[in-house]
Amino acid sequence: MRAPLSWLREYVRVDATAHEIARRLNVSTLEVDRVIDIGVADVGDNLSYLRVGKVVEAAKHPNADKLQLCQLDVGEGELRQIVCGAWNFGVGATVAVGLPGVLLPGFPAPLDERPLRGELSRGMILAEDEIGLGSDHDGIMLLPGGIEPGSPLSDVLPVCEQVLDCTTTMNRVDLLSMVGLAREVATLCNGQLLPIDVEDPAIVRPGQVDVSIDDPEGCPRYIARVLEGVSVGPSPMWLRARLHAAGMRSISNVVDITNYVMHVYGSPLHAFDRTKLDGGGILVRRAADGEELTTLDGTVRKLDERDLLITDGTKAVALGAIMGGLDSEISDTTTEILLEAANFEPIGILQTSERLGLRTEGSNRWEKGVDPHMAEPAAVLASRLLVDLAGAELTGAADVHSGLPERAVVRLRPERTNRIVGLDVDSEEQRSILERLGFEVNGDWDVTVPTWRARDVTREIDLVEEVARVVLDRVPHTMPLRRLVAGHLTREQRHRRLVEDVLVGSGFSEAYTWSLVAADPDRNALRLADPMSGDQAILRTTLLDGLIAAARENVDAGNDGIALFELARVYLPSGEALPEERWRVGGIVAGGFSEARSAVEAIYDALHLELRPARTTVPHLHPGKAAATTAGWLGGLHPALLDGSWAVFELDLLELTAPIPERVLYDDVITFPPLRQDIAVVVAEEVEAAALVDTILEAGAPELRAANVFDVYHGDQVGAGRKSVAIHLSFQVPDRTLSDADAAVVRDRVIALLAERFDAELRG
Amino acid sequence: MDADALEREGLAAAAAASSANAIEVVRVEYLGRKSALKQALREVRDRETGMALNAARERLEGAIDARESELARAELDARLTTESVDVTLPVGGFSRGKLHLITQIRREVEDVFLGLGYSVVDGREVETIHYNFDALNFPAGHPARSPLATLFVDETTVLRTETSPSQVRTMEVQEPPVYIVSLGRTYRRDTPDATHSPIFHQVEGLAVDEGITLADLTGTLDFLLRKLFGEKRRTEFRTHYFPFTEPSIEAYVSCHVCDGDGCPVCRHSGWIEVGGAGMVDPAVFAAVGYDPERYSGFAFGWGLERIAMLRHEFPDLRELWRNDLRFSRQF
Repeated sequence: MRAPLSWLREYVRVDATAHEIARRLNVSTLEVDRVIDIGVADVGDNLSYLRVGKVVEAAKHPNADKLQLCQLDVGEGELRQIVCGAWNFGVGATVAVGLPGVLLPGFPAPLDERPLRGELSRGMILAEDEIGLGSDHDGIMLLPGGIEPGSPLSDVLPVCEQVLDCTTTMNRVDLLSMVGLAREVATLCNGQLLPIDVEDPAIVRPGQVDVSIDDPEGCPRYIARVLEGVSVGPSPMWLRARLHAAGMRSISNVVDITNYVMHVYGSPLHAFDRTKLDGGGILVRRAADGEELTTLDGTVRKLDERDLLITDGTKAVALGAIMGGLDSEISDTTTEILLEAANFEPIGILQTSERLGLRTEGSNRWEKGVDPHMAEPAAVLASRLLVDLAGAELTGAADVHSGLPERAVVRLRPERTNRIVGLDVDSEEQRSILERLGFEVNGDWDVTVPTWRARDVTREIDLVEEVARVVLDRVPHTMPLRRLVAGHLTREQRHRRLVEDVLVGSGFSEAYTWSLVAADPDRNALRLADPMSGDQAILRTTLLDGLIAAARENVDAGNDGIALFELARVYLPSGEALPEERWRVGGIVAGGFSEARSAVEAIYDALHLELRPARTTVPHLHPGKAAATTAGWLGGLHPALLDGSWAVFELDLLELTAPIPERVLYDDVITFPPLRQDIAVVVAEEVEAAALVDTILEAGAPELRAANVFDVYHGDQVGAGRKSVAIHLSFQVPDRTLSDADAAVVRDRVIALLAERFDAELRG
Repeated sequence: MDADALEREGLAAAAAASSANAIEVVRVEYLGRKSALKQALREVRDRETGMALNAARERLEGAIDARESELARAELDARLTTESVDVTLPVGGFSRGKLHLITQIRREVEDVFLGLGYSVVDGREVETIHYNFDALNFPAGHPARSPLATLFVDETTVLRTETSPSQVRTMEVQEPPVYIVSLGRTYRRDTPDATHSPIFHQVEGLAVDEGITLADLTGTLDFLLRKLFGEKRRTEFRTHYFPFTEPSIEAYVSCHVCDGDGCPVCRHSGWIEVGGAGMVDPAVFAAVGYDPERYSGFAFGWGLERIAMLRHEFPDLRELWRNDLRFSRQF
């Protein structure tokens, strides 16, 4: 919504400047994105170079067929010669003149005197686009006669204008109107609201206007007015200038008037060419399934029973509240119009407008809920302007509704305001704020809500907000007392931070990848009803695809040392509406199995867990380098999925952290130091290290405390199909230092069991 | 035997020794078991000679010890000079990674509120429309309820459009006082561009207690904004509208680049919009069974990407999803 300040000042008397008004509105009412300066810059004596001129002589330029050579009276006592390229005027025309020295918008330098095809031109006769009053450049502006030549142009036209560019929140449709904004400005800037005095034109030659509403819920009110003898033509300059400043295009006097009045009251209007309405009346109803209407933009709209239609009883003539029909559009030859000032229910309008992808100035207001009371002053003002500016006569009027809503009454406790806001606002000030905003407050603090706020002020808290927003810049900064509060991270949250930190410390950088993917290994993974694209259709059950894509991105970028992890959610189908959301940590790193294992081991170690990988088969892993752990998997990425050699892993945080001990118990490693020995055993190639170690620990208990593989040897000395595995052994008991002889006994037990289970031989 | 001569000879030999090995040879020769001095001491029979010999031995020992340390020191110095490295030469280094920028900001925000006594709550990302809209007082017909704005899984299930459902879930299971923040992924049907992403991150804050005021909200947000953007920042709060808060406000911080003078980052306004907040609407309390006459509360919900982009001045939030290490390694 753009609000030209000169227009706004017609409804509110206020001393504040545009920027002061914008500042107050910004804090207390709505967002003023910026103050736009349009027209001619009001700097220095610039405006004094713009005058009203009268054409005294006009003839073809002697040296140019397309130019006119004119002599103008601009109040200087002598005539001024100006060369002009437009031909839409002649002797006697009153025009706008820019004298040499004027700086016009869009021009890099002030205008100067210069010869044009040999004739000196001492100024410029102006078109509306040249001083920012419109976009028309078909000819120069023609001003009404009777203005004294030499008068300052700024007395006649808004040649410099400041426009507030406002964005309204969706609860305040009343601010999509000049009167609504004026009321806020009056409240915030100590201004005085000025009444809009419009005399409703008398009905001449009263005639019948048939209006019926089949769907009073969709259309609670319909005012129709018939105007005859309409002369469609261009709007007067002041109206064109206001619409232009407000960001609207001038079309014709009739259409401009409907747009102008919408801007004033926020209640959209529509004008039909009444001769195109069969019977000249209106029937408002739901569309039939498959019914069609060609709207003003020339598009054929296919409708159904959800859509509200304005019909003439026979055929559709407008898509209610959204756009008129092409057939009954106002044209140059229109002489009789039916003016619609109605009221429409918001949700249906929103749904139709969304479904058809058709948003208009009208639908934008209706979908937010326009005050049905506003239809009447809008109809009156529009009728008045049609009579005054288009020569129309009012010949009929109808106002159909089944009762307009009563104003709501809400009780306010002024002390409640202060309890919520945390600032003492004197109750008389609260009363004054509410009254200036149009509320009525009685002695018991029963507050009557104005009709234009009926939708968003229904409760005491809504009144509190009205006061709070006006005093918002006085609200102090305090902190809650927090008497019964203790903040902390949960165990799970601390573990997540720890896992992130361990991986970062191990060289991994954190990636964020999409939770929505194109495909997922789980056939039951949740699918969006209407995804934005096929690439983002499914809620993932694994982080792997995102990490592969992230690694590929880095390969393509030419980065080295690629090591990425993500700690995020996956969405496991649960059989119920909501999936089970589980935290997972996944990683991808250039390298082989050992990189995957190192990363996972770092995580396990930090969490006081023992990693015990077991061989497994997973489709996305290298078949010979795939391992399962208590919480997930790790291994070499299957080479078909990404070029190069990559290690990957993914662990479920819930399963990972479940076995973490509540507390770690002290283990005495000092009093009786361990005895360390190494052994090497030869076993078949397929015997896994973990199986050997488990057996060794089983046989060596309790004296044998640790067994760690430190080397594996293949070669002639051990024979084909066999390998030598070297293992550190550590013997320790809590009550004495073990001797070599003690260790030898244990070692014999170990070797015996290895021989029995794995056909192991002690090597050298 | 001439103790004096022996001592002089020993001192001269010690002084002449030029290496640790040489001084060891001198020590053996003059103080060892087979040295002349030791033999003389073994053979001494009178007190006077014994004292003189002992004194000589002590002096000689001291001199040899001193020379030995001197030589050791000289040898260490000589070795150290040969071990010099080019300290400007880059090294392999331990590999280390970086937390994602959003995680870093997430933790900063969490830590600010942990310090204020708040707890951190993990909400759900896939939500029912009850928690995402109804319980948060979204009116029927609110544009956010439309499939044009929100990603639906089915008619009653959506990807949460804000972190606020976690408020409702927390209040349902906990009596006041409630002081929580909840951070995580949120989803809207926005076509990706420099400032929009269908997946983004929010921080949600909620405080419900007896006597919570709008002033408490502005004070808390003022504190947070200074922690995020610098202690010198000023804050401003402007009225706004959200279905789940009343009154509602939008928080602004004075521009950290120009300090309020106007620059491209703040679009020449001097102020930067950070996000929405407000006093919890009584309708939200009603949905969870809190008594709005006894308790009041405030809530806020801000985008973490916006904070990251403003603070670090990068123009395109898609960088945050590209995972290019050249980006991650900067932060």
